[in-house]
Amino acid sequence: MQFEVLATCHTTRARVCRMTLGHGVTMLPTFMPVATQAAIKGLTPQQMEGLGVSLILNNTYHLNLRPGIKVLQEAGGAHKFQGWNHNLLTDSGGFQLVSLSKFTKITEEGALFASPFTGEPTMLTPEESMSIQHAIGADIIMQLDDVVSSLTTGSRVGEAMERSVRWLDRCIEFHRKSGRDEKQNLFAIVQGGLDPALRDRCLEEMIKRREGVAGYAIGGLSGGEEKDIFWRIIKQCAEKLPADRPRYSMGIGFAEDLLVCVALGVDMADCVFPTRTARFGVALTHNGPMNLRLGKYAKDFGPIDDTCPCPTCSDGTSRSILHHTITRETSAAHAVTLHNLTFQAQVMGRARDAIIAGTFPKYLRSFFAGYFSDSGYPEWCVNALRSVGVDLLEGDPAAKVVRGNGAKWEYSDAS
Amino acid sequence: MSTLRLDIESSSGTLFGPRLGKVSLQRDAEGSTLEILTPGLITSTSRGVVPHLSRNNVNATAAICWVHVPFESFLEVSPPTPTLQPGAHPLHKYLGFRRDQHIVSTSLRDPSDDREMPANGNGFANAYCLRGVRKVTPADWRNWVVKMQPDIVTALTDVPFTAGPHSQKRMTKSLERSSAWLSDLLQPISDTGVDTRRQRSILVHMAGGVIPTARKAFSLSLLETLYGKEAEAVKPLATLDEGVSGYTFDLVPLHKALSPTAAPIRSTHPPTLAATMAALDPHVDLPTPEASAKLVPLLHASLSPLPQHKPRIAHSAASPHEMLLLIRDVGVDLFDAHWAQRAADIGVALDFTFPAPNGGADARADLGHNLYDTRYAHDFSPFADAFGTCETNNDDKDTARTTCPCIACSPPRLGTPLRHSTVDGPYPAHAPAPFTRAYAHHLLHTHEMSAHALLAAHNLAVLDAFFAGVRVVLAARPSAFAREVERFAEAYDGGLAVWAQARAAWAEVALARGKGRMAREKEKQEQDTLGTAVEL
Repeated sequence: MQFEVLATCHTTRARVCRMTLGHGVTMLPTFMPVATQAAIKGLTPQQMEGLGVSLILNNTYHLNLRPGIKVLQEAGGAHKFQGWNHNLLTDSGGFQLVSLSKFTKITEEGALFASPFTGEPTMLTPEESMSIQHAIGADIIMQLDDVVSSLTTGSRVGEAMERSVRWLDRCIEFHRKSGRDEKQNLFAIVQGGLDPALRDRCLEEMIKRREGVAGYAIGGLSGGEEKDIFWRIIKQCAEKLPADRPRYSMGIGFAEDLLVCVALGVDMADCVFPTRTARFGVALTHNGPMNLRLGKYAKDFGPIDDTCPCPTCSDGTSRSILHHTITRETSAAHAVTLHNLTFQAQVMGRARDAIIAGTFPKYLRSFFAGYFSDSGYPEWCVNALRSVGVDLLEGDPAAKVVRGNGAKWEYSDAS
Repeated sequence: MSTLRLDIESSSGTLFGPRLGKVSLQRDAEGSTLEILTPGLITSTSRGVVPHLSRNNVNATAAICWVHVPFESFLEVSPPTPTLQPGAHPLHKYLGFRRDQHIVSTSLRDPSDDREMPANGNGFANAYCLRGVRKVTPADWRNWVVKMQPDIVTALTDVPFTAGPHSQKRMTKSLERSSAWLSDLLQPISDTGVDTRRQRSILVHMAGGVIPTARKAFSLSLLETLYGKEAEAVKPLATLDEGVSGYTFDLVPLHKALSPTAAPIRSTHPPTLAATMAALDPHVDLPTPEASAKLVPLLHASLSPLPQHKPRIAHSAASPHEMLLLIRDVGVDLFDAHWAQRAADIGVALDFTFPAPNGGADARADLGHNLYDTRYAHDFSPFADAFGTCETNNDDKDTARTTCPCIACSPPRLGTPLRHSTVDGPYPAHAPAPFTRAYAHHLLHTHEMSAHALLAAHNLAVLDAFFAGVRVVLAARPSAFAREVERFAEAYDGGLAVWAQARAAWAEVALARGKGRMAREKEKQEQDTLGTAVEL
């Protein structure tokens, strides 16, 4: 990997970087669409190329089950298998073991779980995770970490963090010996739950191992924790992580989360949110989410956003025809997915431009004003951005501020 | 005004032999003409869109030239939203079809829908939408059509979808209503005073069910010279047929009536699976070859009195075998692709050509591959053996194959990649590789929608190539056509055994993914018309 910081924001910790991987250049900060089972749901790789997306994510747990490693090896790797010639990232499979399997038991050796096919006890070790990810062949691969829910408290959090460090050593060792470390880049995952002391300890240990690590992810968040704690942990980790390594915040996809994380120094994020919500009829816009299932869109002949360059909007696809077809016809899901991924890319692309131009604080203020001015600014965003020198309420101290997670939503009236 | 016409290049000289020709739609105001070589295909739609294909993939699919839009799903909102679309060419605009690429036709009902319906009345036809059955009067239909401006419209028709058999009285009514409703559509619109009837081309469905004399009587009624009030209504037309641009045949009700209505065949699948299959896909009745053969005299009865130069269009033909039969023995010009598109829903990649390849195997080949089958898990070949791909080297003329132009076999670039910031470097362009059976197999088993997008485009391309092959034989060796039809029937399995396997596998995957999904899916599928919805 070549990693180059091109510009940093004069106020916040945001930065623009060029990351060159085996399948081309990806400019950071970026949002990574999720192709869990080797396809962005409903789309073809050619459609993804049309959107200018250069880095997507596959899930190791899923690909290991189907099509299985043997098929991927025969195909010559996941890139060839799915016809994707750009950059690819795989997770370690550990997160899904915890979230999808009821019977997972973590031992020092690895994660013991019941095979979803045979029910037999199966062990996923750090070495096995590396080996599977080698077969998949993604440009960025993730260490196996000991994942606990962000709501877990007590000694288990510290234990998981310590074990994640030990498993990182085993991943680095296995990866180095495999000879794959030239083509595939291993990322460490910082754990430690919501405890700043544990996070510090994890950061310290993992930064010591930086020679074996191409980048760092911040894990163990986005699990339902208080947003006010979430941003503080992100800030703490991003501040400590080395500047010459990309920083990846896992499972982040709401526009406000993305921009706060970027302002705190995060370079990459992924989430199923924009693609999943598209299938249920929610289009993302710079004025907030739009639920196309609402009756008010039945006779609305305008596009989702007439300034949007996505194939759906630029073709003039109306809210009305999307209302008529969404959740009924797969092509409506495709149309809104194309739009939402473009929206995500635009939010991040404009951030890159603003950071380069030295106008990132202004961009933050104008984005949040457009997105939240009617419903109110989430208080945690105001606090988080204030911590890096940007006051969203500047010039409008009377603006409405809402407590809680503040996520904006247009609820369905469809029965 | 737009004019639909058929130029017959060659025919066998008989009334019902195969015909080679060209259907053209001339749009005077725009000075443009769209052409479809015949025999050729019409693309089916569901809720106004081509199933599984986003607009950029529709535009990248050359086989899609004429799209047929069943209107009834739009009855959910009153007035139906396409009739409110502002601007020129409202129906094209609303549905995203291109004026320079797509002919758009519409009919009230979905011709592939065979569900039982309440009886139509003298002044209305019943149509189906998610909110229930809607009564549509001929005046409604005329007004909506004027507002939407489709290129081509099928007049309302009275096909009984009540439980049969139907009495002679019912059949007489059906004929009377169908011709009265056609007459209504041929009238100028009175409330604006503008003569709008020639803005569009009108098709008429050939009524009469499975009674040859009734079918003939309907055709004769179209040719009767009109007098008095009837003549005044459609002035200056002397007969109804003068205002008709082509004849359509909905085969689904005929298949239903011609198939032996014996007790349902006992399913060999476990009860839960059988129930799932029935719920997911109620349209299973495949006509026997005998039933297909019985269509021929019925279509003859309709066409024999009518002029020969108008296009003959068949909806929902059950297989290429049936299409060939109707080309050879009836001279049908256009078929909708419902069969091929439906195959994409259930995971079948079509793989056949006309003429059939020489020196076939002993057993009849399948018309396609059930990509659910585990035999494809490690198969990295492209979807079809009969076609080349963007990577095929065709230098050797002896083994040269037609390249399949679909988005799966020859993936296209879809425009210039978007750029999202000024610092973004050039986006690397790679030569795309054809998608493989192994990949589609994986996508099907993981319920990924992308499988159906690839298959829908591929199957349309294969059917398009099939008709191109038919035209080549009709042009170069017309006397050999009948023989080639027989050879095709010997080479390929017309019983579609692979379909049954694919349907079962499709239902198995749906069932395996459980968790209340089945209930939701079942409800959806019962409501939807084409049965194209797959899990989102």
